[in-house]
Amino acid sequence: MPIPLTVLDTRRDARDERGPASPPTEDVRERVFELEAQGEWLVQRVPEPWIGVTTKYGRTKKIPIARTWHHKSCGQCGHIPGYSTSIFWLIRKLGLDYSDPKDQTSCTAWNYYASATSNQGAQAAVAMRNFGAAYESGYFPMIHCGTSYGHYKEVREELVHSADLRDEVRRICDKLGKPFVMPEEIVHYSEWVYAMRDEFAKRRVLDLSSIDVTVHPACHYHKLVVEDAIYDPDVYGGQRTAVVSAVVTALGANVKDYSTWFDCCGFGFRHILVQRDFTRSFATLRKIDVMREEANPDVVLTHDTGCVTTLDQSQFAARAHKPNVGIPVMSEAQFAALAMGAHPYRVAQLHWHNTEYRPLLEKMGIDWRERWREFEDDLERLKKNDKTFLTWEDADV
Amino acid sequence: MSDTVLVVGGGPAGLEAARAVAEMGSKAILLERRAVLGGTPDESSYAALTPRMGSAQDALDLLRAGVEDPNVEIHLETQLTACSGSVGDFTVTLDGPSGATTASVGAIVVATGFQHFDPGRETQMYGYYEYPDVITLPDAEKMLSQHRFVRPSTGEPPRNVAFIQCVGSRDRRLGNEYCSKVCCGVASKEAIEIRRLLPDAKVYIFYIDMRMYGYWENEIYWPAQEQYNVNYIRGIVTEIVAKDGRLLMKGEDTTMGRPLEVLMDVIVLSVGMEPSRGTRDVAGILGVDQNKYGFVATPGEPMDPVGTSVPGIFVAGAAAGPKDLEDTMSMAGAAAMRALRAIRGQARAEVGAAR
Amino acid sequence: MTLEARYADVPLETKQALFDEVKADRRFKDYLYGCYECGICVAACPSARFYDFSPRKIAQAASREDLPMFFEQLNDDIWNCSQCFSCTRCPRGNNPGGLITIMREVSINNGLTSAKQALEGYGRVVYKIMSTGTQVSPDMLQPNAFPDWGPHVQEISDNLALWRRALPPDTMHTTSTAWEVDDKTLTELYLIWHMTGVLDMIKGVDSGLHMILNDVMEELLEEAGYSAG
Repeated sequence: MPIPLTVLDTRRDARDERGPASPPTEDVRERVFELEAQGEWLVQRVPEPWIGVTTKYGRTKKIPIARTWHHKSCGQCGHIPGYSTSIFWLIRKLGLDYSDPKDQTSCTAWNYYASATSNQGAQAAVAMRNFGAAYESGYFPMIHCGTSYGHYKEVREELVHSADLRDEVRRICDKLGKPFVMPEEIVHYSEWVYAMRDEFAKRRVLDLSSIDVTVHPACHYHKLVVEDAIYDPDVYGGQRTAVVSAVVTALGANVKDYSTWFDCCGFGFRHILVQRDFTRSFATLRKIDVMREEANPDVVLTHDTGCVTTLDQSQFAARAHKPNVGIPVMSEAQFAALAMGAHPYRVAQLHWHNTEYRPLLEKMGIDWRERWREFEDDLERLKKNDKTFLTWEDADV
Repeated sequence: MSDTVLVVGGGPAGLEAARAVAEMGSKAILLERRAVLGGTPDESSYAALTPRMGSAQDALDLLRAGVEDPNVEIHLETQLTACSGSVGDFTVTLDGPSGATTASVGAIVVATGFQHFDPGRETQMYGYYEYPDVITLPDAEKMLSQHRFVRPSTGEPPRNVAFIQCVGSRDRRLGNEYCSKVCCGVASKEAIEIRRLLPDAKVYIFYIDMRMYGYWENEIYWPAQEQYNVNYIRGIVTEIVAKDGRLLMKGEDTTMGRPLEVLMDVIVLSVGMEPSRGTRDVAGILGVDQNKYGFVATPGEPMDPVGTSVPGIFVAGAAAGPKDLEDTMSMAGAAAMRALRAIRGQARAEVGAAR
Repeated sequence: MTLEARYADVPLETKQALFDEVKADRRFKDYLYGCYECGICVAACPSARFYDFSPRKIAQAASREDLPMFFEQLNDDIWNCSQCFSCTRCPRGNNPGGLITIMREVSINNGLTSAKQALEGYGRVVYKIMSTGTQVSPDMLQPNAFPDWGPHVQEISDNLALWRRALPPDTMHTTSTAWEVDDKTLTELYLIWHMTGVLDMIKGVDSGLHMILNDVMEELLEEAGYSAG
């Protein structure tokens, strides 16, 4: 006897009827403001205009549209510079005001999780120093890396709940001459991309309807401080974090599911540097292989430095063992930029990526040969004078 | 001084309390927000009752027959919207299909019950709003009460079924830190019912602890394993994803000390109890204290399981927290008795007073 | 399977002292409540699939204050954790990954051989983050550092300086750091390392590294008018 497939709709309706339950956890932002009222620190407000998005238990999170201070990622800027470049390119394309600071240190969390050659005080002090620098500039911090974001969320919890830690870090900030500031929200760039996805969709110039995408969510984005991550009832029924997936759909490409969606990529922090067999085995066996087998995507998109690095770089060694790898990997920022006509080399900087991406570009309708010729001309020009650089104007010629 | 007891809620607790009041010669007003009496067992189409496997429908019919009494004034599709006064002399506003009316009552029994936890909220990723074949205990009850059990996606009987215990209970991250008491027994009972219907199906229960109080141990747990070959595996599941047209669940088999990944046709989430919307609303209207989970507080426990923080107002059943049917029936009788003493002017004003 | 934990020759007092240090950490009470031993952490853990590693056992050993088991884990297991925090699925609110972070710090602070071994080969990365304020730099993309990434790394390495100039963002025209960091910012970072005792930690692990770092930092700090230490 056939069952009408309104099962999920019926469930969703019943859910609405019962009404939303109140969120099970306290709202740490309320505590942040309480502490400001007690004179413990300053709170940097999210600048207007902002977009409200929904987090796991239905609360609203404010995402600033512009006047953002870009807390850059070591791995992105160091090894996958097209990732950072694409984020800036997207902002510039929308004509928004932003700051790319030199007064910024790494969050130092990669080192912390890899080697533990740090401690709670140092980690919190680094975070607050960076927040202080943002506050001084008048721009609101936007975090590029998933680990920085997750780590800073943890630091916020620790500072809110420990007066001792606050005192220790305040003393350090005083000595540095930095203001002791906690931002109203801790915002990851992929949350901004999610909030602005319709703007990107409007400016899309490529037809992505034949592009199949598998999405890999960064562990540190949604598993650290679980209540502060974006969930959307229209994306996986609100059961999985919506960032990246929602953007892919908005751009007209197809999100394909696979059975190891929730698995870590295998980055391991220390493993990718000194216990490499784990990382490359895990990434290929548990992620790439399964994606290939079940979804056969054209590209893997993710929203974190470590994930892009791991998934992209691990596939080379696996070719010796299993020829069935070879899915290009990039961030959703690079993908969105390409969709809007960004240059694959000047902006997305795909020549830094390892797994073969050129068939993908062809499928997307990008003439990569011509683009590479253009970029090679740029390189020739730069060779002639080593004081020169590629500029933003050059990038959009 | 009023000689009437108001019973709010027409589920098992309310029905039994109203019946008991009437049996003892006093009047009861029974309110029910739905159009039929029976409460959650009726709304969720409960099949068999734990542990003796008696018919839930028969039990409900019996309870409904019990309130067919001139002393019980039944108001369906009616809710309590206001209350003032004190023990012996409450004025209550009842909002029903023909508008709002007031009544004067001497005591109130809160029997507004519970609702099942919504699995879309939990921190484990179980995909209840993504996959039709992930169902809850009440979804299973509905099928079992029609003497069938099939995969919602295909309409075919499953080859294997897994239960996941403690969904929405015993969870600090959700705030529902308590145990919902009945789900281990109910899951085992449903497992038995499924094995009876589908003798070729393999049934698994993934648990943290098996809560089999008293005679449930020998009346449900042992038969489930010994007669019906239900497999109990100690280890809870982290996520459910789709694979090869079936459901893939990932857990750890802790007693064997290894991660496991198994494909299942149907997965049943043993969802716990939360205070119903009615319980939250009515508690607010009556001004009775609620505990941190939103259930009606019973400050005099364990010696007084039915007294609330307000003299003259008593609670019966799951409005006070996770209860099984025996608890509910016991509380209903006790609440009725205390309410009668209140309206007969024999109640002492203090809460948890010695008998 | 042996019933006794390894390192039976190490005195119990030593193990007790290390455990007490872990327990005394500010974060311990937020990372370990009770443990159901339900295994959800293992189910989610990537390292559990590849190593004989169990976040559940880490939490169990800590809850039970099982010193021999704890000490064995401190030496043999904690460096297998991938710090992904999938184990925060725990319904009791435990954070086995977090417990491991504390255990790693204690291990380093006490100069355990296993910690030193775990950090062998990692020295250049510590040097990079502590001295430049960025964790990885373009010039770390060398074939001998990442041999299993293939010949592509050689290509990058050969063209590094040129390709880095071909980047539009003007903070990224660097090769020895991920982005350009102001000297003042570096000074602030060095002060943080000094004031929080991190430099002292490094001394216990790798005295050579400590010496180099100290030299690098001293110079900048003196220029800025601070005395190092």
